[in-house]
Amino acid sequence: MSQENSEDHTWRESSASCTDSHICIKDLTKVFKRDDVETVVLEGFSLDVKKGELITLVGPSGSGKTTILRLIAGLIQPTSGGVLMDGELRTSPGADRGMVFQDFALFPWRSVRKNVEFGLEIAGVPKEERRARAEKYIKLAGLEKFIDARVHELSGGMKQRVGIARALVGHPDVILMDEPFGALDAQTRNIMQVQLLNILDKTDQTIIFVTHSVDEAVFLSDRIVVLTKRPAKIKEVIEIPWPRPRDRATPEFTALRKRILTELEEENVMEN
Amino acid sequence: MSLIVGLKFDENNRYHRFARTVVISVISLSIFILVWWIVSLMADTPAIPTPLQTLDALIDVYQYGDRMTGISLGTYVSSSMSTFLRGFLLALAVAVPLGLILGYSKTLRDLSNPVIEVLRPIAPIAWAPIFMLSLGYTLGPMLVVFVGIFFPLLTNVIFGVKKIDPNWIDASKTLGASQLQVFYKVMIPSAIPYVMNGIKVGLGVGWMCIVAAELYATPLGGIGFYLAEQATAGYWPGAYAALVVIGILGLLTIGVADYIHRVISKRMGMDV
Repeated sequence: MSQENSEDHTWRESSASCTDSHICIKDLTKVFKRDDVETVVLEGFSLDVKKGELITLVGPSGSGKTTILRLIAGLIQPTSGGVLMDGELRTSPGADRGMVFQDFALFPWRSVRKNVEFGLEIAGVPKEERRARAEKYIKLAGLEKFIDARVHELSGGMKQRVGIARALVGHPDVILMDEPFGALDAQTRNIMQVQLLNILDKTDQTIIFVTHSVDEAVFLSDRIVVLTKRPAKIKEVIEIPWPRPRDRATPEFTALRKRILTELEEENVMEN
Repeated sequence: MSLIVGLKFDENNRYHRFARTVVISVISLSIFILVWWIVSLMADTPAIPTPLQTLDALIDVYQYGDRMTGISLGTYVSSSMSTFLRGFLLALAVAVPLGLILGYSKTLRDLSNPVIEVLRPIAPIAWAPIFMLSLGYTLGPMLVVFVGIFFPLLTNVIFGVKKIDPNWIDASKTLGASQLQVFYKVMIPSAIPYVMNGIKVGLGVGWMCIVAAELYATPLGGIGFYLAEQATAGYWPGAYAALVVIGILGLLTIGVADYIHRVISKRMGMDV
């Protein structure tokens, strides 16, 4: 995993203190350029993430939420700014930043077990230990009955639990979740949210979670980052200190949900 | 249908589905033979023997071999098959690695594309006289088969690598995979069903080539030689018997490839 700067990578020391934060996202800017057309997708996005925190990014559609995750993952390079993990700059993908995808991105030629073992294989973990660790997380995801099943035999919700187990098993410093429940029906989605929280209770995993469901964000997050329309900037960061599991029917819950929805609507109106 | 098999057809019963296939195939072949018979009687020329005359010639060559050369039918068939197999293996050994590399590297693909597009439309059989006269009757037919299988196989492998879900590559990268690991842990396995599809198509083309190539060949040249020899001698039933053998062998070859392709695709959970 290379950690040195690429040539076109401008690193600005100016803003945001990154001294003791777990993950420090500093001044991320992303400009997509094709021929002579420049599209600024993201402008000066900075965020400190504490260990064990669950942060959600919500924003109007097309606001560059996924771009932020892909930048943190190192799958694409920022035009300027950077991502520090425990003080070290990351410019390429690595096992320290796991990812969960909206369409699951499981390997169909591998069984559930082999999907979860993938990262451990890459890391060169010996076979016995690999099996044991994979089994632990498959159990945690409630899939022990399907351990040798093929991906196409699973339901959407089960597929995504494999995706989560696959990301968790390597103990990454952070898991980036890109609308992980977006492809699921509303009921499955609610069940998955509860299951995710149960899993997180046992792992203290740091998570950055992109969603377009405000309800989901309020239900899950320690902090919600509300983004503006493109080019995305942080509109507001909302701390939610409420204990979990949360009741979606309380007045506070509905009030907060409504407030964020209104903010997003403002963004959409400004666009039109 | 229900009249013929004497019971009600049940789409959900596998024996019923199988019986239906058998009955339909029998009906279809019977109609074909009937039409053939009528045409041959109406045409009233030795160049179109009746199915019965053809069957007699087939039994004759099966029992006594080629009466002109004394070579047995088995020798002809195994000679054709072995040339075919060698051409096939050579195509496999060249087209699969090349296809993986060309699918992976856009630069190499763009570089080789003009050459491939010029060579591909040349009918494999057009190479036959050149290969026969310059390389002899052993290598010649084998290389014609090679050309016939090579291009469909290559195109399918390239297509397979290009069709890889980019999310699989991203997922493997965020699980720590290096470029090389992405190549052999994601690209190669996900291209396998396409390789099999290429083999299936290639075998069909290759089988046409072998027979055509053998028309130029010596008595060692197999079933294609026998066909040419019988037709040249004006012994039409023998020529038609050769056609029947060629058709059945081709059907078997493709049937085996199709079966393997389906088993692998299903096993890998990929519907290609």
